[in-house]
Amino acid sequence: MRKLPRKAHLSDAALAVALLILAIQLYLFETVLGAVLDGYRAILPGSFFVSLALTAVALALAFKAPDLEE
Amino acid sequence: MAQEPVSKPFWRRAFPLDLHEESRYSRREFARFLAVVSAGFTVGIGYLWGRKRPLEGAPGEGARHEPVPLEGAAELKAGESKLFTFRDADDRCILLRTHEGKLRAYRQTCTHLGCAVRFDGKRLECPCHMGFFEPDRGFPVQGPPTRPLAGIALEVGPDGSVRAVGDLAKPTEGGDA
Ligand code: FES
Repeated sequence: MRKLPRKAHLSDAALAVALLILAIQLYLFETVLGAVLDGYRAILPGSFFVSLALTAVALALAFKAPDLEE
Repeated sequence: MAQEPVSKPFWRRAFPLDLHEESRYSRREFARFLAVVSAGFTVGIGYLWGRKRPLEGAPGEGARHEPVPLEGAAELKAGESKLFTFRDADDRCILLRTHEGKLRAYRQTCTHLGCAVRFDGKRLECPCHMGFFEPDRGFPVQGPPTRPLAGIALEVGPDGSVRAVGDLAKPTEGGDA
């Protein structure tokens, strides 16, 4: 069994935030799709930038969050 | 003295599976996966924003199209309906006359999972999961659909002929003819 390097470990909080972001993204996408199907396209620019910001946070957490031992 | 076994969490005792792979993935890898899925949602919203053609069954924002004459619309009696195609051959719509004598037209695409709705004389019904819409404004009244049907704007010419002329910006706006 390969032992993982400690380096790969994220804190509980970082993982929880990453999961929370995904849940928000899922809800956001579903809401936006429903609105677009109803003909409301005005929410698209705003939701896109909100989604982009959330993705930026998720990427930062995944690649830049400090390792546990740091 | 024998060493005390390390106590395992309850779920490990309940599901005593020994997965060799389970330590292959680190939290960081999992977080990266989550971030990529999150980026996928962003790309999806960006696609919806950039897409010029309305999605299947979605109304264009008050868009007008080449008017389509609806033959025999004036002769429709209350509770009767008639099918027609609008934007293209796949854009199936239904024209009906309500019991109040008003002409209404909707896309046939059910807002639940896209089956074709039909008019039973009183309500528009979707046979797939027994969804019902009221005929005056296309609102869902029973079953799984939660969004109203996409409405088609109608126009009556001076000679009494009826034409479909565009999408109603919102299905809730009156489509009087
Ligand atoms: S597709 Fe119409 S009710 Fe499900």
